[in-house]
Amino acid sequence: MTVTSLPAKAPAAGAPAGPTRPRRRRRLGYERRRAAWLMLTPALIHLTWWIGIPVLATFVLAFTHYDVLAGTITWAGLDNFTEIFADETWNTSILHTVVYTFFTVPVAMALAVVIAVLLNAKMRARAWYRAAFFLPHITATVAIALVWMWMFEPNIGLFNAVLAMFGVNGPAWLSDPAFAMAAVIVVSVWKGVGLKMLIYLAALQSIPPETYEAADLDGASGPRRFWSITLPLLKPATFFVFVVSMIDAFQVFDQVYVLTPDGGPANATTVMTFEIYRTAFSEFRISTACAQSLVLFAFLLVLTVISRRLTGKDDDAR
Amino acid sequence: MRVKPSRVLLHLILAIGALIMIVPFAWMLISSLKSHAEISAYPPVIWPTEWVWSNYPNAMGFAPFGTYFRNSLLIAVGHTVINLALATMAGYALARVPFRGRSLIFMAILATMMIPTYTKIVPQYLIAKGMPFFGGNDYLGRGGFGWLDSWWVLIVPGALTPFAIFMFRQFYLSLPAELEEAARIDGMGEFAIFGKVMTPLVKPAIATVALITFENSWNNFLWPLIVTTRDDLRVIQVGLAAFQQVEKTEWAYLMAGSTLATIPMIVLFLFTQRYFVQGFATAGIK
Amino acid sequence: MPRKASLHMASQTTAVTRRTVLSAAFGLGVAAAAGCGGPAPSSSTDTGEASGAIRLLTPIFEGAEGQKTLEGLLATFKQKYPKVTVEVDYTTYAKLNEKLTTSIAGGRPYDVMLMGVGWIPPFAAKGVLADLGENADALTSRFNKRVVDPGVYQGKVYALPIMLDTRFGIYRKDIFAEAGLSAAPKNFDELRDMGRKLTKREGGKLVRAGVDILSNDLRQTFLPLMWANGGELFTPDGKVAFNSPASVAALQLMTDIIVTDKTEDFGYTQPGAATGIPLVQGRAAMMVGHNNVWLEIEKNAPDLVKDSKIGFFPIANTRAAMFQGGTLGTVAAKSQHPAAAKALVQFLADSDAALAACRQRGNVPALKALESSEYVKANPSVQFAMGNLDSAFSEGGVPAWLEIRGDFKAAIESALLGKKSPQQALDELAAKATQVMARS
Repeated sequence: MTVTSLPAKAPAAGAPAGPTRPRRRRRLGYERRRAAWLMLTPALIHLTWWIGIPVLATFVLAFTHYDVLAGTITWAGLDNFTEIFADETWNTSILHTVVYTFFTVPVAMALAVVIAVLLNAKMRARAWYRAAFFLPHITATVAIALVWMWMFEPNIGLFNAVLAMFGVNGPAWLSDPAFAMAAVIVVSVWKGVGLKMLIYLAALQSIPPETYEAADLDGASGPRRFWSITLPLLKPATFFVFVVSMIDAFQVFDQVYVLTPDGGPANATTVMTFEIYRTAFSEFRISTACAQSLVLFAFLLVLTVISRRLTGKDDDAR
Repeated sequence: MRVKPSRVLLHLILAIGALIMIVPFAWMLISSLKSHAEISAYPPVIWPTEWVWSNYPNAMGFAPFGTYFRNSLLIAVGHTVINLALATMAGYALARVPFRGRSLIFMAILATMMIPTYTKIVPQYLIAKGMPFFGGNDYLGRGGFGWLDSWWVLIVPGALTPFAIFMFRQFYLSLPAELEEAARIDGMGEFAIFGKVMTPLVKPAIATVALITFENSWNNFLWPLIVTTRDDLRVIQVGLAAFQQVEKTEWAYLMAGSTLATIPMIVLFLFTQRYFVQGFATAGIK
Repeated sequence: MPRKASLHMASQTTAVTRRTVLSAAFGLGVAAAAGCGGPAPSSSTDTGEASGAIRLLTPIFEGAEGQKTLEGLLATFKQKYPKVTVEVDYTTYAKLNEKLTTSIAGGRPYDVMLMGVGWIPPFAAKGVLADLGENADALTSRFNKRVVDPGVYQGKVYALPIMLDTRFGIYRKDIFAEAGLSAAPKNFDELRDMGRKLTKREGGKLVRAGVDILSNDLRQTFLPLMWANGGELFTPDGKVAFNSPASVAALQLMTDIIVTDKTEDFGYTQPGAATGIPLVQGRAAMMVGHNNVWLEIEKNAPDLVKDSKIGFFPIANTRAAMFQGGTLGTVAAKSQHPAAAKALVQFLADSDAALAACRQRGNVPALKALESSEYVKANPSVQFAMGNLDSAFSEGGVPAWLEIRGDFKAAIESALLGKKSPQQALDELAAKATQVMARS
């Protein structure tokens, strides 16, 4: 079974429509569609086999009791879902994930687009600046942890040293339930800016310089050019960055785990993916982990559909 | 030479930003040359009193890094090449050609990204193990180990990412339709339009996807560990993980190993920078 | 095809009663993937002589050095059992469960699996492990009884111990002497008193913790305190017991150290932190620590070793206690070469392999005979642990342990942070554990 055999709800927007179109165009439409399917098929086969089936398995297993050690499986109906929502830790992890996403995604995106625009201009040492901003993304997470743990160290760490200059007694960042998530968010924004900047930078390359010429004649200022020309043209890229960042943020694991191991102080930084990991591989309860994954899936699907509606038809067919 | 004050301010802001970004990397680099005692000293020793260059050969001797490095490189290059080939085509088809079910396929591709890796990994392992006709398996995929412990399983399953298809779709979307139509009037076929007209215009996206695919594959750890049992098929991240045992971490070696593992990424980044140029400067559409 | 395949998925050993449910569950694409994974229909099983190719999964012997050691050992094994070939899969404890899960789900578990103390009852209860056919009492001639017990489930021996890792009290004799103290604490009251005396603050900032209870995994710090106070994790018939008055008093002690006495601040350090171990840095006077802290001291503060400034003590109140974890060798119930697999487990638990494994990571040998080995004699920390095995306690013991243990940390933290009283924290934990045990 492939996804492709499913009927479409409606013809895609912008499709050449109507029975009165000339014959040549109809032939052309057929040729284009044939080419499209040929180009799409290898990818669809690969995705269906290696990701489609596992996703489907997740959907099925979520409604079973699958004991991986004993090798037994029985129908569970909604048991797994009642069980996870009765689990206080899981519910807290949903809240933490939402908070984490709410603060990391927009902040990192805003920073990234500004940096990308600045680094798109011709200037000295441009490649080196770009490399510097991308560096956190490629530096190993455990190595990063070594540094940030020193920065967040309550007695001699950089953060509290700065606070002490203003007479503020800083918290034990990573061990204080009130501040641990904030610390993780700071590190995540720092780590996440580079990749988003890179995508925006790539998108900026495809804006024709002519677009700006008219604005230059009008004498539009830098910020106005940014708001009225650059940003609207970056809409497809923004939709992409937003959806991908959101998916990443909802599935965050590494940074959180390395900075605040095992859910953080009194589970203050436990996130959904950590709970899923723990359920599946510390407790060997695969089907419960599948149910948790479906909750995560539902969140992401709803948010993606909403953001697609918001960017409107702009990102759709031409 | 006149220097605009706004330029100076711009450089100042960027330099401060860049510094914040670089500090942890620099710390890692310096730490990789510290002695065991200094790396875990309190308060931290920022500038080592003794530069321990032997951390590097020692770290390299900790695991068969030569083999690991070669394996990681082969896998990362394999993933990158396949991903670019398949994802550009798929992204183009989804962006430029209207057909029934396109929206649905696109959403389905997005949806596959929304289930976490940890959930998918057990079914994926079973698919690999049940590959018919491979590794002693019969036509139903029974009896043997399928693709496990082979280059197939290291390269094929992770070779195409929904991320790349999505990204290419978005980049092909922002190209003007006039280009395509002009080429069509010139009598070009659909594949030629894709390969010769449109794809050269998304070079920055290709560079970005190449970089990200390579990086993800280079840093992948769990999948290569699970689907192989032989040490000669393991990858560089498995070697780095050996520095972290349950009860203690060899920090100096870990830093040295991580530094070496990061270098190919930096080189690749600086290399791909060449493709971050205005695609339209050469396209010359009027 | 879906139905047939799903049966394979559901494993051969367990009697599957709900075939219809199964085929429906895996009716879709899952079957194509997951189902086709079972062993071929015909497979012979040997019983007598040890022979065949077996697979070993090991979270220890990692890195090039460990690999070389194990290969040397296996060469010896080959001389003894020329018909057995061993394929080794090296992993780490951090990813052991993923390897176990996938291999078991695939229907072809490793013939020999090395795993930790808490794993044995769950795996034995679910039929993953083979009965080794050993007599637990007979084993006590070679191992301490406390060391044999974690491998025993419902009277049968499923695992043999290879090496142990222990947690106990470690203190700085030099700092103690400075404060006019000559001996390590013998009970909880002394522990608190000494802790208060040894704590040093400068302008409110903690510069030396009297007692460091945060550098070690919190559960593995709490448990020895609980045992020392006479508490138990579970009753002999497998009911939750870790919210008994004795256990609550142990958590109260930890809370007092942090909240009342302020001999250590929460967040001062954390297990495995990149910021180092306070005791080694002179930022703590004593700690509950792992036996391999000794290696860290040897490496980073060799002067402390030279001047013998490090001392060890069992955690004690109503009785002496030491936390004992370890790595054990097991054989898969589905192994097609059980005789060969058992021979390998025997070999790994024997002196050569055990000693090599311990040497690599500064751990404690399980075999009594090794107490007189050069390695043990040269390592005072290991020597102390071996001398105190009579007061060693292990965690786990019930099949649901792996589902329970993960919740300890947060419960202990909520008490240390003053969010919940020790009683409340442990009662909630006990309620959750009871629920989990009822489920499985």
